[in-house]
Amino acid sequence: MKVLTANSLTTGEVVFWNAGRWAVAFNDGQRFDGDEDAAGALTAAEDQPRMVVAPYLIDVEDMDGHWVPVAYRERLRALGPSNHPQHGKQADGDADVQALAAVTSSARSTGRIKLIRR
Amino acid sequence: MYRYDDLDRQMLTDRSNEFRHQAARRLSGEITEDQFKPLRLMNGLYLQLHAYMLRVAIPFGTLSTAQLRRLAWVATTYDKGYGHFTTRTNVQLHWIKLRDAPDILDALAEVGLHAIQTSGNCIRNVTADPYAGATADEVDDPRVWAEAIREWSTVHPEFSYLPRKFKIAVTAAEKDRAAIRSYDIGLHLRRTRDGELSFEVMAGGGQGRTPYLAKTIREHLPASRLLSYLDAILRVYNRAGRRDNIHKARIKILVNSLGVEEFARQVEAEWAQIEAAEVDLPDTELARIRAAFQPQVFDPQPAVSPVFEAAKAADPEFARFARRNVHPHKVPGYAILDISLKAPGETPGDASSAQMETVADLADAYSQGEVRVNYTQNLVLPHVKLADVPAVYARLKEARLATANIDLITDIIACPGLDYCTLANARAIPVAQAIAKRFADPERAEAIGELGIKISGCINACGHHHLGAIGILGVDKKGEEYYQLSLGGSAGADAELARILGPAMSGQSIPDAIETLVETYLAHRQDGERFLDTVRRTGLQPFKEAVYAVAD
Repeated sequence: MKVLTANSLTTGEVVFWNAGRWAVAFNDGQRFDGDEDAAGALTAAEDQPRMVVAPYLIDVEDMDGHWVPVAYRERLRALGPSNHPQHGKQADGDADVQALAAVTSSARSTGRIKLIRR
Repeated sequence: MYRYDDLDRQMLTDRSNEFRHQAARRLSGEITEDQFKPLRLMNGLYLQLHAYMLRVAIPFGTLSTAQLRRLAWVATTYDKGYGHFTTRTNVQLHWIKLRDAPDILDALAEVGLHAIQTSGNCIRNVTADPYAGATADEVDDPRVWAEAIREWSTVHPEFSYLPRKFKIAVTAAEKDRAAIRSYDIGLHLRRTRDGELSFEVMAGGGQGRTPYLAKTIREHLPASRLLSYLDAILRVYNRAGRRDNIHKARIKILVNSLGVEEFARQVEAEWAQIEAAEVDLPDTELARIRAAFQPQVFDPQPAVSPVFEAAKAADPEFARFARRNVHPHKVPGYAILDISLKAPGETPGDASSAQMETVADLADAYSQGEVRVNYTQNLVLPHVKLADVPAVYARLKEARLATANIDLITDIIACPGLDYCTLANARAIPVAQAIAKRFADPERAEAIGELGIKISGCINACGHHHLGAIGILGVDKKGEEYYQLSLGGSAGADAELARILGPAMSGQSIPDAIETLVETYLAHRQDGERFLDTVRRTGLQPFKEAVYAVAD
């Protein structure tokens, strides 16, 4: 499964694609089963340069009933920095965030697709 | 300290206005991200994992209290109430919004701060000895020369598109506190036997994936000829440095592929063709800059302060602070006071807005209104009366800024790593926090003695891992965060690159591995040896055996 992510142009915040709109919470992002749907969404996202910067697809997996990004880099993006638990999306601390946080230390990074480079 | 003149201020205002228009054109869709990105990077604005990051230059690590207060205000108003001081003596704000960036640059420009040349393939912020103007072991204030370099290199048309970024560091003291041999150009100012100021010029240092220590290309450069000689170095580099491969584009690769003698020969040949009068600093300009760094007036003080001595005798914690964080000043009765941004459990180099305000207040009250940023990610109050140290300490303690650990095992350098940075492979901050917590007992840390741990989250080495007595490099090993240990590095006058100890290990194993390294050192230590000395004497073998025997 894949999720489409980017950073908001005006704020830089991490956002997730859902049917043409951008959600701020990872769990509100749309999950794509097929590569074709995902690629179509990516093309559509790239047509929104005033909304987001550098959209790209990430791999996600089901861990104990919770969808999480495969890559720990993406888990950090979905949560926030681990040195400031009150900063970033993890601040609200709901069940989805807790599930994501619980698996972050054991994550793998093979989910990087079109990694942003400066 | 140097205050921006009308020319400097006008340039900052113009630049800020220009960026405001560039950002507006990006937001309106008039220019694309590919067009905008180099423009925002020229103004220090990066897009990182969670937000934009603004890197603000602090030339030669010197801040006025007005500047520090403005940074605190920007951090509170536009960020999450803290700043991160870096190994380049810059400050990074990690939660910036693009829409706020023009206002922030305006607010910074009002106090002579900016983010120009904190990114891109240009001459970056010039760094210098953080104890400049305060230490007894210097022959001149190195900031006079660093400021001349700043003015020469700022928006220099010939050197704005170099093959790669370019960093210059200056010291005028015998003890190198600016890691000058890890720079593209390291400048060491000394006095010749006949009393003339003269630079030893070193070139080709750098860290990253191919670390080199800078090599001396000229033993004695008359100080007055500095700018034309820098011009010559930059011209040779600009012409011959590689532009085809980003990993081979730094001057260190050029110096080492040509050989230092040939590189020096080409520089001398280029230098001979430069019209010195057009480039070198006129005496009047040097005098103008020097006047800005006139030594402060220090009220005469007794060399020994009864107040300071009594406080040490009464409070063992204060005595420890005095041993670790208080250093001799050139004027009797004064001290240079290090403020550690490394309280165990905190993020190395982070200071909250409230802490910045406290430091600014203390600098105004006790340190002639000056604050320094050290590349070790700590702050410095350069001119404190010994008699005032107990009062300063009390205020620092209230602000959680009185950690007495300078140069000890918990005084860890760490880059932001994968918690923030798009380039990182692994996190650095949590590793630093875990080690600092393990060695949080200050008595034990002091018994272990001087030991620099330096952590980078990727091969770019912003955390100086090549220069750590213990260096830790985060790597991505089969998709997991792993850490490679190296030993024996040093940044000072005895600079040396650390050597890799063995296979990388998981982050959870690092505190135990550090513990093992420390135990091995203590078992082998001879009288007066620092960790680094023991490693140099015994070699890596005993440490390797101890760490990997445990790991097996």
